[in-house]
Amino acid sequence: MTTFVFRNHTVEPLLGYDGMTYSGYGDISLVPADVDRYIWFYQVPVNPDSAQLAQEVESYCDLLDIVLSKVDESKPFFIFSLENIFPLRLTGDETAVADAVASFNAHAARQASAHHNVKWVDFSEFVRRYEASALVDWKYYLISQTLLNPKLAHDFQSWWQQVERENAHQRKKCLVLDLDNTLWGGVLGEDGVDGIKLGGEYPGKAFSYWQRALLQLERNGVILAVCSKNNEADVDEAWQHNPHMILKREHFSALRINWNDKATCISEIAEELNIGLDSMVFLDDNPAERELIRQSLPQVEVPDFPLKPYQLMPFFKELVDKYFRIYAVTSEDRAKTEQYRANAQRRAEQSRFIDMESYLYSLDMRLDIIPADEHNLPRIAQMTQKTNQFNLTTRRYTEADIRQRLEQGWRVFCMSVSDRFGDSGITAAIFLQPVGDVEVNIDTLLLSCRILGKGIEEAFIKTVFNLLKLDGYKTVAGDYLPTAKNQQTADFLDRMGMTLQSTDDSGAKHYSMALSDMFDINNCYNIRVL
Amino acid sequence: MNLEEKILGIMREVFDMEAVPTDVSQKNCDRWDSLRHLTLASELEDAFDIELEPEEIAEMTDFARVIDMIQSKL
Repeated sequence: MTTFVFRNHTVEPLLGYDGMTYSGYGDISLVPADVDRYIWFYQVPVNPDSAQLAQEVESYCDLLDIVLSKVDESKPFFIFSLENIFPLRLTGDETAVADAVASFNAHAARQASAHHNVKWVDFSEFVRRYEASALVDWKYYLISQTLLNPKLAHDFQSWWQQVERENAHQRKKCLVLDLDNTLWGGVLGEDGVDGIKLGGEYPGKAFSYWQRALLQLERNGVILAVCSKNNEADVDEAWQHNPHMILKREHFSALRINWNDKATCISEIAEELNIGLDSMVFLDDNPAERELIRQSLPQVEVPDFPLKPYQLMPFFKELVDKYFRIYAVTSEDRAKTEQYRANAQRRAEQSRFIDMESYLYSLDMRLDIIPADEHNLPRIAQMTQKTNQFNLTTRRYTEADIRQRLEQGWRVFCMSVSDRFGDSGITAAIFLQPVGDVEVNIDTLLLSCRILGKGIEEAFIKTVFNLLKLDGYKTVAGDYLPTAKNQQTADFLDRMGMTLQSTDDSGAKHYSMALSDMFDINNCYNIRVL
Repeated sequence: MNLEEKILGIMREVFDMEAVPTDVSQKNCDRWDSLRHLTLASELEDAFDIELEPEEIAEMTDFARVIDMIQSKL
């Protein structure tokens, strides 16, 4: 892997030499394209004239923006936070430099939210470990422009490796929680609704902070679920009547409160929420339960649970850093928790309806098919990056890739789906590549697993086929390229009436079909083509 | 471990080389550039618990001079 580093001081002793290339000091004129990733690691220079220094630091925002506008959005770009490791203040009320540093950091964090490839690295995590006097070795600074003491290089390298590991970590989607001695202190069945430790003095206070912290996770798109050996009626009573309860029934997208074994319960939760076991984290104070899950469901992450309630907040921070840290949140992400919960409710409805047909009608589904435009392009690109299960070809595209294809005459549509339980947002996309004048090839067809199971995929593709026919296309072709995760789409094109033309050694299948008759589409979908 | 071996070990690590010959110098070794020179100085200070002055760091341009410098500090 090759990395290009934008820097304004000597940082080679810290980041090393292997595969690393460095900019000139404060030089952004060269933004090489032939590297795998970028690091922005600026440090606050030493300058006793703080007004001048503040101006210089303020200019870093513009430098960063220029660089970001030139790099390929598919490549990781790490921005180190600016830390003033030698703050020099001649008067007590002098804050210009600190303000400029804070404003750069806020700006960089905003860039990280706006671009999925930009990752914010909190360098203060490292700097805070040391006394101010240990951070700079003036001898080395003056002979080599190395501001951070080179003696800290080993520590820095292990910290940076840890940050890189955390970044490589797949972000988890769901946190499954036990209740007794996990979400509150004590045992509900023994201590009663008012006897459990929650709120008030320690240890109840520790569990209050913990619940408030978990609530913030939920609000930022992490799905919470409960898996507890308890009587559901008791738990309901605690949720309704314990005045200190912060996390209540409505915050959980799935519940398994029963006496069944937890491995079965967690598998059921994964199925109900339509997510993989490998996107779940399970918390339980009971080491035997943790061991059971580690052995029977090795894909689920099972961290050890703190022994003392006062360790819950640092434990929360660890959870966030390891599994749930959010580098870029899209509005779809924020709404996702709501959607998973609505899905669970939909499935509950489903069991009440005798036949699927009337269930589908009752959902009052609205499908809006929208041509790709500047508003939905980021979401379409994101879906090509993230969708694994219902994805015929699993081709990953950046926004730039898609723009380029649109310019070449491709037609790209996405679909926004809503029903009476909620709005799932843009959750499907199709990429159509013209081949000659009357043939079109389905380069990509994908649907988010959130909307599967309601025949939407069929309505979507058949509507698209009808549109193509109306536009004068005679033939449609398409491929299925197998991956470890997309088996469920292996026979989708067969089911849509396309004819298998060939299968190669890798299992890739090639289909085509004449666009002769218009397809009938079930009236349960209110389809609009925008 | 004698002094010579200890210093060669530090050099191997700093220069990221399998073997460092005892006639190594800034002139005949590409890896011994000005930045790794600083890392070397900082590692030597740590390993022998000594302080090197900037002028002294500048003088340590080959293996023999490094040995002399360290010995004069011990």
